[in-house]
Amino acid sequence: MDSSESPTETKKTKSKTPRKNKETVLKQKSPAEFFAENKNIAGFDNPGKSLYTTVRELVENSLDSAESISELPVVEITIEEIKKSKFNSMIGLIDCERVDAELYDDYETEKAREKRLAKEARAQEIQAKNAALGKKVKETPASKGIRGRGEASFYRVICKDNGKGMPHDDIPNMFGRVLSGTKYGLKQTRGKFGLGAKMALIWSKMSTGLPIEISSSMRNQSYMSFCRLDIDIHKNIPHVHVNEKRENKERWHGAEIQVVIEGNWTTYRSKILHYMRQMAVITPYAQFLFKFVSDAPEKNVTIRFSRRTDVMPPVPLETKHHPSSVDLLLIKRLIAETSKQNLLQFLQHEFVNISKSHAERLIGEMGPDFSPKMALKSLTPQQLVRIHQLFRQAKFDDPNGHCLSPAGEYNLRLGIIKELHPDMVATYSGSAQVFEGHPFIVEAGVSIGGKNVKQGLNIFRFANRIPLLFEQGADVVTRTALKRINWSSYKINQLQDKIGIFVSIVSTKIPFKGTGKEYIGDDITEIASAVKYSIQQCCVQLKSKIVKKMQAREQQERKRNLSKYIPDATGAVYNVLKDMAETQLHASKKFRYGDDDGELLRKVYENLITKETLSEKLAKHVEQVDYEMALEYATQSGVSEEPRETIYIKPLETENKIIDLHSPFFVFRMFH
Amino acid sequence: MAESSKKRRRTNTDDLPFKNKLKPDSTILQTLKDFSTSSSSSSSSSKTLTLQDLSLPFSCREVSDLSLSSVQSNIESLVLRIAHSILSGNGFAFDVPSRAATNQFYVPELDRIVLKDKSSLRPFANISTVRKSAITARILQLVHQLCIKGIHVTKRDLFYTDVKLFQDQIQSDTVLDDVSCMLGCTRSSLNVVAAEKGVVVGRLIFSDNGDMIDCTKMGMGGKAIPPNIDRVGDMQSDALFILLVEKDAAYMRLAEDRFYNRFPCIIVTAKGQPDVATRLFLKKMKMELNLPVLALVDSDPYGLKILSVYGCGSKNMSYDSANLTTPDIKWLGVRPSDLDKYKIPEQCRLPMTEQDIKTGKDMLEEDFVKKNPGWVEELTLMVKTKQKAEIQALSTFGFQYLSEVYLPLKLQQKDWL
Repeated sequence: MDSSESPTETKKTKSKTPRKNKETVLKQKSPAEFFAENKNIAGFDNPGKSLYTTVRELVENSLDSAESISELPVVEITIEEIKKSKFNSMIGLIDCERVDAELYDDYETEKAREKRLAKEARAQEIQAKNAALGKKVKETPASKGIRGRGEASFYRVICKDNGKGMPHDDIPNMFGRVLSGTKYGLKQTRGKFGLGAKMALIWSKMSTGLPIEISSSMRNQSYMSFCRLDIDIHKNIPHVHVNEKRENKERWHGAEIQVVIEGNWTTYRSKILHYMRQMAVITPYAQFLFKFVSDAPEKNVTIRFSRRTDVMPPVPLETKHHPSSVDLLLIKRLIAETSKQNLLQFLQHEFVNISKSHAERLIGEMGPDFSPKMALKSLTPQQLVRIHQLFRQAKFDDPNGHCLSPAGEYNLRLGIIKELHPDMVATYSGSAQVFEGHPFIVEAGVSIGGKNVKQGLNIFRFANRIPLLFEQGADVVTRTALKRINWSSYKINQLQDKIGIFVSIVSTKIPFKGTGKEYIGDDITEIASAVKYSIQQCCVQLKSKIVKKMQAREQQERKRNLSKYIPDATGAVYNVLKDMAETQLHASKKFRYGDDDGELLRKVYENLITKETLSEKLAKHVEQVDYEMALEYATQSGVSEEPRETIYIKPLETENKIIDLHSPFFVFRMFH
Repeated sequence: MAESSKKRRRTNTDDLPFKNKLKPDSTILQTLKDFSTSSSSSSSSSKTLTLQDLSLPFSCREVSDLSLSSVQSNIESLVLRIAHSILSGNGFAFDVPSRAATNQFYVPELDRIVLKDKSSLRPFANISTVRKSAITARILQLVHQLCIKGIHVTKRDLFYTDVKLFQDQIQSDTVLDDVSCMLGCTRSSLNVVAAEKGVVVGRLIFSDNGDMIDCTKMGMGGKAIPPNIDRVGDMQSDALFILLVEKDAAYMRLAEDRFYNRFPCIIVTAKGQPDVATRLFLKKMKMELNLPVLALVDSDPYGLKILSVYGCGSKNMSYDSANLTTPDIKWLGVRPSDLDKYKIPEQCRLPMTEQDIKTGKDMLEEDFVKKNPGWVEELTLMVKTKQKAEIQALSTFGFQYLSEVYLPLKLQQKDWL
């Protein structure tokens, strides 16, 4: 613990004394403390995953921020590797050489050294032998230096966006106070707990002790806020180092966040890249620039995910609760927060799907103690329980999906095409359905073929428009795709084809399973059947395309496939004929076969008819049949069945020459 | 109690459930003798019906054993026809009898499945049948070779003569069945046999290719049933019945306990679904020795299915059902009603899977089940309780419970359907 945490010192000593007395003392924990201790809940299980989660939290915040002001998002994310020596100099620590080598965990004793050298020598010997024998030499992995516990790697993560920015005075609280957020209403949101950047800050505090740096500017704001702060975990309050206004020459708006954390790029590289790619699929209207910078230039990565469309899904609306989804606590909270005075107004305005007449009927059903005009504040706890019970039992219309903002079939399709370049793609968008009073929409896409796609099923899961990468096995989408879809009935080969399955679920409350909120359970029948139906709809669309393709291919390959078997068939027939001809010659009974057959066998015996004769005749027949079939196919499908090429036409910005033809009922506009 | 002391000499497990219900072996033997004579007299009195005796509303396809030379000449005339067709520029096609489920028909009078005479054309110049017709031609040629040389090969041998064309053995096997159907002969007439699968042990003496085999002196494993039945002859037996066992494990138990010495019988198993050889062998035994056949199968839909294959034939081989089926097989056990009757504990019973229940329900619709009200009752009970049990479930009372108590008691009570 460094000295900057002086306020905690008193607390610490205090907490130590009771232990001696063996008395249990009631202790309180701040939310920040709780999350620091249970960082796995928020996806900070280990340094590698922490790096991944930090990236994703920052990217998702940026997207939310840009979308909230209807600005097409531009997000730049940079991960900078920091060497240990550089890190030490950053925090003002002088590099220390190891003096007592045996003190360290990775110290190699004399014995271990001998062992290792012997092993290496043996490996070399085998390799030499293999090389001598001309065997393919397998590259033995260079013996990795044993990594000690202390050998941590550090990264600076910078995320810059063109979003809304933050009000100057709110910045400290927005970052330095856990569980305070703008996303706590009932609506479809990307965030998980409202932790976001705060958790990254807690992690940086735990691993490097360095503060977070925030630059932000709002639209039409002449200055730029710069703030450097860290968090007092025990008090759950921000600890501001600098908070100043700076010049904003470019009239930039948005936020740039810099945080230095411990991480592990080598093990989580692919996860982070996958995340970025999937994010690009689901948000094709955003532009991402991802950079990884290190001292070793060959390790550097720069990927640009460019924008493919200008159409942005609408901002999700905040909605009211559905009566069947509230619990007792929530009712109490709503009563405390509402501006409405009496019960009737409360029911009518604080919930969806309760009209005035419906509310009156409900109040009548509650019992004689209730009346429409009774003051909300006068409700007894027993009466609240009664309301809750009625909400549970009564029938309400399902909430509609207007408050949701699905990615949209169009965007999903573009995203898939943009990032995967598949041979075929089909998308489907379901209508809103309901689970426990929360509406949800399932959208699906299925693609065949493409770039960087593995053979078999490639599953891409999205919940509220963010990719889910972990705990794939138990997820409803994975289970459905693997077990409940009969791929072969759609002429798709589950093992050989490159199948991409994209399922995006949006809801005001995604029923995640597990602490990490990384997957949706398979036990919710409503969602499972919606997912299955959506995937099936995509497959149905694909099937007709696939069948057409197969037919076309069959046309092309028919002759080849038929000709392939000519030698087998004629060979078999000829061998039987030859055997017959030979036995006929030896056998005296000439009248075993009729005239035609006798003649045939004689020709076979005299080599007038050979295997080649048969093959030629059969090949001719095949050719004729093929010609007839091709003719038939052409008459059926139309002659112009040539492979089409997609072309893109740019709209002409310059003045359009138009002629309007007016009639009493419509206008016909012609473009030149 | 004299009889209980007698039993104690044999085993010391006197406390086995239902053991006290057993009468002395001599009494049981007498019951069996009566049953054996009555069943043999009843079956000998009734003449075996053939397809020709019935006037069915449609014609059926049945095959018969053909001599090698007639198989050869059949193939030769077929090949000549094809050669002419090719030379005249018309390609060629095989007319193959359909062995699809829609072309099968259960004849209650015969108690077996027969094949109707629908057939389909297999032209060479069609993308969907080109492979099959090429394979058919090749198989015909190979069988022709066998006919000339007069030798037997296994299905596996046949497959390996042209692996590149056949790709996997299932394909050559199906076409082989098509060919025997097309030529109107049994598969054994083609000189192609399957590998040995079934085994027999007990009171049976027969000649295999001229060697006399005594099945009581074949050790524990018994004698493998010869894959081609024409080698088998001169059957002699003093057994009272034939015991058909589904599982190898139960067979081994009975063989090791020398069950056939306590109650003279012949024990046969095909280790699951029966192959052609075992079915032919059972049929031959039944015909020549005129013994009742009792079946010991698992108490699940598949046990009954195996029973049905012995009894009225499989759909795949329905063209030869006359030679392959053994009529009048009695279901001895393990029947669903036995589970409660013999108080088989819960932990030895298995819940039926959805697939099991579906199979069970489907079987209730099958004619061969419906003709026997006792079977319908048992199968309905199985589907209702949704429980199944294997023969091995009886081992819960001791490994020898099957041979010491269960089977003797079943025989004593004539508890078969």
